[in-house]
Amino acid sequence: MSADHLPEHPDFLWRNPEPKSSYDAVIVGGGGHGLATAYFLAKNHGMTNIAVLEKGWLAGGNMARNTTIIRSNYLWDESAAIYEHALKLWEILPEELEYDFLFSQRGVMNLAHTLGDVRESVRRVGANKLNGVDAEWLDPQQVKELCPILNISDNIRYPVMGATYQPRAGIAKHDHVAWAFARKCDELGVDIIQNCEVTGFLKDGNRVVGVQTNQGTIHTEKVGLAAAGHSSVLAEMAGFRLPIQSHPLQALVSELHEPVHPTVVMSNHVHVYVSQAHKGELVMGAGVDSYNGYGQRGSFHVIEHQMAAGVELFPIFARAHVLRTWGGIVDTTMDASPIIGTTPVENMFVNCGWGTGGFKGTPAAGLTFAHTIATGTPHELNKPFSLERFETGALIDEHGAAAVAH
Amino acid sequence: MAETATPANPETLRAARRSPASHLAPTFESGSVAGTVALKEIPFQTMVGVRVDRASDAGARLASVTGGLPAACGEVSGDERATTLWLGPDEFLVVAPESAHDSLGGDLVRALVEALGDDPGQVVDLSANRTTFELSGIRARDVLEKGCSLDLHPRAFRTGTALATEIGNIPAMLLKTGEDSFRIFPRASFADFLGRWLLDGMREFASPEVP
Amino acid sequence: MLLISCPNCGPRDETEFHYGGQAHVAYPENPDALTDRQWAEYLFYRDNTKGAFAERWVHSTGCRQWFNMLRDTVSYDIQAIYKMGEPRPDANTTAATTSEGATK
Ligand SMILES: [Zn+2]
Repeated sequence: MSADHLPEHPDFLWRNPEPKSSYDAVIVGGGGHGLATAYFLAKNHGMTNIAVLEKGWLAGGNMARNTTIIRSNYLWDESAAIYEHALKLWEILPEELEYDFLFSQRGVMNLAHTLGDVRESVRRVGANKLNGVDAEWLDPQQVKELCPILNISDNIRYPVMGATYQPRAGIAKHDHVAWAFARKCDELGVDIIQNCEVTGFLKDGNRVVGVQTNQGTIHTEKVGLAAAGHSSVLAEMAGFRLPIQSHPLQALVSELHEPVHPTVVMSNHVHVYVSQAHKGELVMGAGVDSYNGYGQRGSFHVIEHQMAAGVELFPIFARAHVLRTWGGIVDTTMDASPIIGTTPVENMFVNCGWGTGGFKGTPAAGLTFAHTIATGTPHELNKPFSLERFETGALIDEHGAAAVAH
Repeated sequence: MAETATPANPETLRAARRSPASHLAPTFESGSVAGTVALKEIPFQTMVGVRVDRASDAGARLASVTGGLPAACGEVSGDERATTLWLGPDEFLVVAPESAHDSLGGDLVRALVEALGDDPGQVVDLSANRTTFELSGIRARDVLEKGCSLDLHPRAFRTGTALATEIGNIPAMLLKTGEDSFRIFPRASFADFLGRWLLDGMREFASPEVP
Repeated sequence: MLLISCPNCGPRDETEFHYGGQAHVAYPENPDALTDRQWAEYLFYRDNTKGAFAERWVHSTGCRQWFNMLRDTVSYDIQAIYKMGEPRPDANTTAATTSEGATK
């Protein structure tokens, strides 16, 4: 592997229009999910008189803070279906969006460190295969062959007892993904409005008819919420509750290094996941902080814990330096699965609760959420991920496969 | 509630026991730096967990066995016969020499069980739950401070007080027995880890100080 | 790293504590009588306040006691610490009831 050259930056990405007084639909949140939703609304449903409202700058929330991992090796049928659909979209999107966002299918390994891990992982590989998701079980020696810098000694606190491996999984350059969607949205006529914070909703009875923003009132027939980290706040404004808790999730990067890490390694058990980005920096993610928080920063001991695990697994990293640490706010649900669907407010739709796994789901979130907004009913893929499941009990428990514990 | 049967031959039992850090004893000895910092395990102390409302009659009866029950965080009561550490508002750890254990001819557990009687509370023989480390010497505090975020300065942490906290990221009780001496009570399963952690922390003091 | 003042032990690092989620959520008096919606509310729905939030913590590696805390979820400022069973104090009054720990 050699450090990739970043593609030429396009001359033009998007306009910065003033908001119109009304749109057919308004998407709240100009991150990956909001932009993907707008793109599919325009492309698949011909809805081009729409706006994406972003309270800060485009893709400056979790889209700027994630560790860019893309995989679909989830346990349950419902999750495998939506994440695998996302992965298939990732595979065709660079061409479709005419923008090379460096989707690199270098594989993702999920390490097993205990007998419980091993059983759960082998079961997941079986489940994945039944769902058409590429998955393999690797013994420690095979792990070492794929990723020579991993320490597979059995004399460490949590020895590597094997790993699941998804060859088609990988990473992409997150900001380029956002720009790719944004450019196409703009081309299709979507208004992307930055620095536009939603401060309230206009309702006619139980039907949403507009949004109030710091740039004035915007009338609209439909509202889609795609504001990870702030879903509960928006829902409260609109007058309903979400079964979500928001937690800080931290990550960090090292300085640039020669290519040493050929794949992506994740460990639920010791709470660390590592890849080497295209420029050469090591990108690492930690577990969530236990407490609720909106501060986009977490506690240092979480980083310390992650680094200890990282260095034990990758002794070669001991002399690397931390360049930067940061936190994003993840909206977690009790079953570690997202919510994409209708809400108690008529014509208002919500896409939230992706926890630590929002980035990989971006294209499928956009596709299914656009379908839900355009038609008023969920797509086959997001039907199981309704808000009602918390009442019916049809939960989709993905705590085992959803990256790190939350 | 402990029913501690007395085995036929206490000496056989004694000879068969291995303390949680016994395998580290030679390493503790070679890792200690004479006149600077020393680490050793004090194995097999008798320890009894007591839960009781201090203000109750049972509390008073138990206090008369232990020589008092500490009233607040940090406080320690008792004498050489038995030391009682405050673990929580209604939770205490009685620590006594090995010989106080009923299986070795002592009567501490029985006395405590009898003092509690049928009243609400708990007396549990926890002698095998924790081991004891003694860390002493002029550098003992420096070693501890590498893995414990409490204020261990003598003006804050005084001789004769004990705190439940974290040392080297694991939970442990820390008792200050003298100006430069501490007893640490880790759970048995953490003894190896904490022993090695402390040894690692002591290592620098074996080398001459760099001016 | 939060520095949390345990009502029994005084200020300690966050690592000595465990988080217990929203405070003052009562177990339903008669769970059998609840609708599915109400049961879902009890089981899965908790406030996710941006701002002053009343939550439970336990001093796991210290005195092992639970207590309540009022904390700002944006600034992470701890505004009050109070006993289990006590009502939530006003966000503006600092009602920290830290007892004198031995570390002081
Ligand atoms: Zn405490």
